[in-house]
Amino acid sequence: MSDLLLHCEQLELRQPGGFVLGPLNLRLKSGRLYGLLGANGAGKSTLLQLLAGLKIPQQGQIFLNQQLLQHYSPTARAQKLAYLSQQQTPTELTVRRLLALGLLPHKTLWQQDTAADKAAITQALADTGLAQQADVLLSSLSGGEQQRAHLARVLVQQARLLLLDEPVNHLDIRYQHQLLATLRRSGLCVLASFHDINLAAAYCDELILLQHGQLAGAGTPAEVLQPELLQRVFGRPCLVDTSPFGGSYRVTFEPERA
Amino acid sequence: MKSIVRLSGGLLLLLFSIVVALQLGAVQLHWPEIFSTTPGTGVPAEIFWQLRLPRVLLAGLAGAALGVCGALLQLLSRNALADPYLFGVVSGAALGATASSVWLPQLALPVAAFAGALLAIGLVLVLARHAARHGMQSISTLLLTGLAVSFFCSALASLLLYQADSFAANRIMFWLMGSLSHAAWPAVQLLAITLLVTLVVCALGRRQLAALHWSDDMAQSLGVAVRRWRFLLLMLCALLTAVVVAYCGGIGFVGLMVPHLVRLLFGGHILTLLFGSAVCGAIFLIWVDSAARTVLAPQELPLGILTALCGSVFFLLLLSRRSRHD
Repeated sequence: MSDLLLHCEQLELRQPGGFVLGPLNLRLKSGRLYGLLGANGAGKSTLLQLLAGLKIPQQGQIFLNQQLLQHYSPTARAQKLAYLSQQQTPTELTVRRLLALGLLPHKTLWQQDTAADKAAITQALADTGLAQQADVLLSSLSGGEQQRAHLARVLVQQARLLLLDEPVNHLDIRYQHQLLATLRRSGLCVLASFHDINLAAAYCDELILLQHGQLAGAGTPAEVLQPELLQRVFGRPCLVDTSPFGGSYRVTFEPERA
Repeated sequence: MKSIVRLSGGLLLLLFSIVVALQLGAVQLHWPEIFSTTPGTGVPAEIFWQLRLPRVLLAGLAGAALGVCGALLQLLSRNALADPYLFGVVSGAALGATASSVWLPQLALPVAAFAGALLAIGLVLVLARHAARHGMQSISTLLLTGLAVSFFCSALASLLLYQADSFAANRIMFWLMGSLSHAAWPAVQLLAITLLVTLVVCALGRRQLAALHWSDDMAQSLGVAVRRWRFLLLMLCALLTAVVVAYCGGIGFVGLMVPHLVRLLFGGHILTLLFGSAVCGAIFLIWVDSAARTVLAPQELPLGILTALCGSVFFLLLLSRRSRHD
């Protein structure tokens, strides 16, 4: 199983408010795109933070490349996995400077930025359609542009595993599709949380469904997108059929009568 | 590139300020006279080497130190109101100085003040750590703890002053208003070394600082040892402030104002902000000290009063200009 990038066994986290995540078993393989689904408060963000090493589980182990995650130095971990949080604090920084932060794990204190670093930043700017805004302050960009800048920073970090908390948040339809296509093409292993099930179903290789901190389903979209299961998790009756474009699965929830 | 040009301009202005400030004073000094005689001979040379040069250098270093501390703390706390004195350093130093002049008059004032400042910082760090363990956001906890410790120390100092004899009370009051009249080489050396170490650490950790300025989560996910870096930088700030307060007394407002000025003049990226604050703080305090010793000569005005007076007016002008720009 050489393509197994990250796995966890009996992972469990109890939070002060009484929320319990897990116990969870997960296996993420390199080059695959995983969609993390679930209602608000199901534990999607918490799971991503745990896997990124930002929270310490009470139970269970996380393995990155078959080695315990907590045995990695912070820098070594940041070279292997990049994390994008859901909320970004606004700071007075230009887009280019934000992207340069992505280089941090690859630099010793004494190293200067090289021409190759600058090229990597330019490439990430082009990939996210921000070439024109490179030297603009982040605070003067729209929400969607800021989100793209953060994604560009994650790309600059050049990690094999990306943990993204609602990456398509604030993005318009065109950039939602563009971003997911970019991630597919990248050949990286990506675990990203979504609210848009159909978007996740169209691009992800596998879906992971969380409910109240427990695994409610995991597998290919065909395996996970069962009407009964979705109704149980999201609390609305729904229909599952296939999209006219390429036959990916499509979920339509029944509207609530006013 | 633009910021390097502006910083060099600032350095030239600093050099010019030092040269001018060295010539201001009761005794007219002539450069050939100072450098033609061997050091330590002749009255003008004595005045130059033992009084004016250390005083001007101490003014510059203290201003630079306060500017750098203010900029660092504003970066780390992501709060534009952060100020080197928020850690209770001044009140701690005041308490140390007061306590020593009441109970241990033979102890030198800077030593007592320095001990008091370190005590206050230690108290703030221990208490903030205790609070953070119970799940509070640690940087705001630190600032609030600093505020509480600050009030606690100044209350104790006031209580002691109230009961002290009037001579000691006077001495402490004047020292708290800030003055460079006791400037001497040891203070210059100590402050120069501390400032140099701080600037080198900041230059090496510029990426870490940028990440910490962004958010703790961001820094941690980028592999920055958040606690270690923050502790190191806060300790350097506290040390710098403690040295400044111990030798120069309470010089308010510089640390708060200078970083804002630099942001407006130079633009605000990490290193530009830090080095710009050092240069601007130095220039500002050299001029204020020159004014303090010449405006009402031979009487000397307390430095802290002047920095707060001209600083606040200048600051309000800047703010109104900025709001018109927006």
